[in-house]
Amino acid sequence: MKEELVKDWSLGYILDHWIRVVAIAVLVFTGIYIHTPFIAGGPDSTIMASMRFFHFVAAYTVVLGLVVRVYMAFKSTFDADWKDFSIIENLKNVPDVLAYYLFIKGSHKDYRKYNPLQAFAYLFTGIVIIFTAFTGAAIYHGRPFLIFPMESFRWVNNLLGGESYTRIWHILAMWYFIVFLLIHVYLAITVSMINKDRTLTSIFTGYKLKKH
Amino acid sequence: MGKKDEVSKQFLDALEFRGIKRRDFLKYCGATAALIGLSELYGPKIAAALEKAAKRQPVIWLNFASDSGCTESFIKATYPSPAEVILDILSVDYNETIQAAAGKQAEEILAASRKAGGYILIVEGGVPTKKGHGMIGNKEMLDVLKEMAGPAIAVIAIGSCATDGGVPAAKPNPSQIIGTGEALQRVGISKPLVNMDLCPVNPQYLVGVVVNFLLLGKIPDLDSQGRPKMFYGQTIHDNCERRAHFDAGRFVEKFGSQEEALGYCLYKMGCKGPMTYSACPKIQYNDRTSWCIKAGGPCIGCAERGWTDKFAGFYEPLPGVKIPGLGGVEAGADKLGAIAAVATAAGIAVHAVATAASGRTKGKDGGKK
Ligand code: SF4
Ligand code: SF4
Repeated sequence: MKEELVKDWSLGYILDHWIRVVAIAVLVFTGIYIHTPFIAGGPDSTIMASMRFFHFVAAYTVVLGLVVRVYMAFKSTFDADWKDFSIIENLKNVPDVLAYYLFIKGSHKDYRKYNPLQAFAYLFTGIVIIFTAFTGAAIYHGRPFLIFPMESFRWVNNLLGGESYTRIWHILAMWYFIVFLLIHVYLAITVSMINKDRTLTSIFTGYKLKKH
Repeated sequence: MGKKDEVSKQFLDALEFRGIKRRDFLKYCGATAALIGLSELYGPKIAAALEKAAKRQPVIWLNFASDSGCTESFIKATYPSPAEVILDILSVDYNETIQAAAGKQAEEILAASRKAGGYILIVEGGVPTKKGHGMIGNKEMLDVLKEMAGPAIAVIAIGSCATDGGVPAAKPNPSQIIGTGEALQRVGISKPLVNMDLCPVNPQYLVGVVVNFLLLGKIPDLDSQGRPKMFYGQTIHDNCERRAHFDAGRFVEKFGSQEEALGYCLYKMGCKGPMTYSACPKIQYNDRTSWCIKAGGPCIGCAERGWTDKFAGFYEPLPGVKIPGLGGVEAGADKLGAIAAVATAAGIAVHAVATAASGRTKGKDGGKK
């Protein structure tokens, strides 16, 4: 068996990933502060205003990051991977991976880049980002991206049954990202340990070990 | 401005007699013009419109399930305010709480008005839909509404009870109380409807809508919930006098504290200002004397549809949510999220142990086939 380093992520994918990580970390931290301010401000403080400012900057970053990611999925010259997210294709293969994860089977099929559960998780995360952006815009009341008029996302509040519920959904979305992070990191570590293919470091270096 | 836009001396004398100075009245009309988005130059026009209206615009004021707090908010001024007089001079033909007539006599007034038609119907209070839970003169309130809404030119639902049930419709809502809009739909009447959520309604809001109607002959621009945009266009938070404290992170953590005495932001005391749309900070209550936050209490969100249930409790930032599958157990969103995260961590730990036990990490080929 031969082993060789293969480029798995281009610089574009790596940057997109890490910018998203940093932005979501900022969003979670500032978001918790905005919801339950845990540091009191002094006479000349602008702490809440700053927290909100960084929350918005990070929010724009995540939304734009998603736009870039979708663009790359279709147009990346390195690896346009949109086909890997095919819902029907992946649904067929869920039992295979699930059986592996639940120790019913000792191995699973070889998937191109993402296994079906992984593809679903990423797809769903994209949807949650969009959902969080909409609920966030409704809570914001201002002019998102300066192109939407003031209060143009108020319908989200009506849809969810009042702004208090928009806020609850926005908070639950934050917890989704935290839960996602826990599972994502855990699986990246275990897969690296099991496959010994440098999956974990590939998102830094771009290279994975492939066996033939 | 032509002669006909001027107020007659007789009218101003009449006001003077009621204790309102001519200057104050005209100033008030100017302020009302500003309130409904017109130049203050419209002041005299408004005064003239009001004088004319004094002679003809009949108003019927129906009281359903409520504590009559909205009526109270009009009549409890310490001296007769211009607002009160304006609403007075609009020949209010029928208002159970303040009229002298009672019983048969009151019924007769109502019947006469209904026959004449052309009145503005003001509804205060929610409409009970459970039989026998709300009757006036042996008639179900829903039927009274149906009878009186028919000949009206417009319906104004004032206060949260009238817009969607409000306090009397709070869980478990034993009388199955609904708002005016829903009630009209149920009895199949379609009329121009203005909703004014607030508990109680701000008298200035009603004056604004009525003057708008008298002057321009139409109800003002409404938002998606049928409320005048001019009063429900911005949040409390955006105009709050304590906003600087919010931005600076200076919060009241406990009532009776130093921070409270300093007038810090009430966000952590459950203030709903950031999610409540109403012009309370700008217009205030009791002739611009004060309002909730100025008086030291957090906004409880009474201007929002679905208050109180959807904005309970008054000193909690957010209502609890039902935990799925646990039949009625409620928890805050934070707790719910934390539970999910802890459950995930536990699941991961179990899976990690199982992975180690399975010997997967020891194999050479990994999980792939
Ligand atoms: S008191 Fe309420 S409305 Fe005023 S700034 Fe604080 S949170 Fe906003
Ligand atoms: S400040 Fe809030 S609680 Fe007070 S009247 Fe206005 S909406 Fe209602």
